[in-house]
Amino acid sequence: MQEEQEFIQLLLDPKTKNHAFESLILQYQRPLYNQIRNIVLNHDDTDDVLQNTFIKIFQNLKNFKGDSKLFSWMYRIATNEALTFLKQKARKSGISSEVIQNKIIENLEADIYFDGNEIQLKLQKAISQLPEKQQLIFKMKYFDELKYEQISEILGTSVGGLKASYHIAVKKIEAFVTAN
Amino acid sequence: MKTFKLDNEPKIESGFKIPDHYFENFSSKIMEQMPEDEIKVISIFQKRNFLYYAAAVILVIALLIPAVNNWSTNSSEIDSVELENYITYQSNVSQYDLINNLEEEDIKNIKVKIAIEDKAIEDVLSLNSNLENLIVE
Repeated sequence: MQEEQEFIQLLLDPKTKNHAFESLILQYQRPLYNQIRNIVLNHDDTDDVLQNTFIKIFQNLKNFKGDSKLFSWMYRIATNEALTFLKQKARKSGISSEVIQNKIIENLEADIYFDGNEIQLKLQKAISQLPEKQQLIFKMKYFDELKYEQISEILGTSVGGLKASYHIAVKKIEAFVTAN
Repeated sequence: MKTFKLDNEPKIESGFKIPDHYFENFSSKIMEQMPEDEIKVISIFQKRNFLYYAAAVILVIALLIPAVNNWSTNSSEIDSVELENYITYQSNVSQYDLINNLEEEDIKNIKVKIAIEDKAIEDVLSLNSNLENLIVE
């Protein structure tokens, strides 16, 4: 926590903030990329959202109160940016977020940045059937292997609630894959 | 139908691919969009300081006005006494040059009746060692 406090000071000090921010990017670009890609699914959109996320982080550092860990705060920004992006995309096309996601899943096979085999593709399809929050929880736990405590800090849901949500998601996925 | 059990399967990856070198270039892409490190700018238009500067400028201008006037008057007129002294003592202009340059009008004006006593004339003549030359002329 001490180390993090010192790092935050470097991020806020005008003399050191650019250098500190660059090291922040290097440290968190991959996990934040993965979090965003889990939601928006294609690479180009992920790139856009990730850039916006880091810019938002930079602009809001002065408002970071330190009542959560830095990474949870950044993950939350990334998650919200990704979800907002999906909603805006849906609004522009005049269709719902779920329909947008299904469309992307259908196109996944043709996507050059998806090299999924049959089971990977099936899993993605199964996940897209779940409600939005359950999808997030499943992906964060299964693909990104975050701890329940970390997920709780990011999403604001209790650890108990997360565990329950995850197990329901697993059951539904298994049923879908079995049937398909 | 074989029931699919997630726990029984080896970890299934997401299947997402990332373009080569994407992360290597990413941080510079972001840093390019960042503003420069803050340089504190002291505006010269801060009200209070501005008043001081303005007062100083006005004072300097006020002090310069008589000096400027001085230069301009000097440049157009030359003191006639100074001019006379210059021609008499400093220049290479001889008496003959001066006489040649005088107009009729000027000569009339110069002709002044000087009332000189004989005694004074005598004194001057006695001092002049070129007396013989003068008599001959």
